[in-house]
Amino acid sequence: MIRVQEADFDAAALTAGLRESAGPGVGGIVTFVGYVRDYAPDRPTDTLFLEHYPGMCERELEDIAATARARWNLAGTVIVHRVGALHRNAQIVFVAAASAHRGDAFRGCEYIIDALKTRAPFWKRETLAGGSSFWVEQRQSDQDRTDSWDEDTADKKENP
Amino acid sequence: MNGATINLLYFARVAELVGKRAESWPLSGESTGAQLLAALGERYPQLEPAARLKLAINQTHAKPTAPIRAGDEVAVFEPVTGG
Repeated sequence: MIRVQEADFDAAALTAGLRESAGPGVGGIVTFVGYVRDYAPDRPTDTLFLEHYPGMCERELEDIAATARARWNLAGTVIVHRVGALHRNAQIVFVAAASAHRGDAFRGCEYIIDALKTRAPFWKRETLAGGSSFWVEQRQSDQDRTDSWDEDTADKKENP
Repeated sequence: MNGATINLLYFARVAELVGKRAESWPLSGESTGAQLLAALGERYPQLEPAARLKLAINQTHAKPTAPIRAGDEVAVFEPVTGG
């Protein structure tokens, strides 16, 4: 399931929904929740504004989830990403991967959030508590993490 | 197809720098992503601080060598920062 929305989400309800839809063969679900955090310890964030490219955004997320399901044994995936003005400590993103075994669930979930950060067309603008505002720049470390999944072929589709 | 034009979309800081979110852009014959970015840099010198511009053609990430054709939807943006 893919959702891009302004509304907040209930991580427990999303996890329960995935467990229900993925069926009794699921042995584990790995979830990731991303939050608005302070830009720096001495530079508290007031608001994070999330802009996105409607249409392309959903297509990229669908493609990322499909790639994860093709690569690992996953019984289901969920991606929910919020847009609009999000205040300090608000939830931004939810990713979940269900599998018979934890290894596939951990790797599937991590792959999805890594790929999302470098492929899904979202952009963040920080407004700090002091009032200054700027667009966040992509970290090279995020690109490196996404690239490393392409090089890492050792764990492709383990047997269930 | 509306003749030799493309539909340009701008996002985030790029939209702020050019002062608009979309426009129709004339296309003279075959063009590539790199050629379009060079033409945009001439038309909008204020884009200079946005050094790492990326393109999506018809809602798919595109390389600078990708061809651009009349009627395409071409989005211009800085590297994405979601998650």
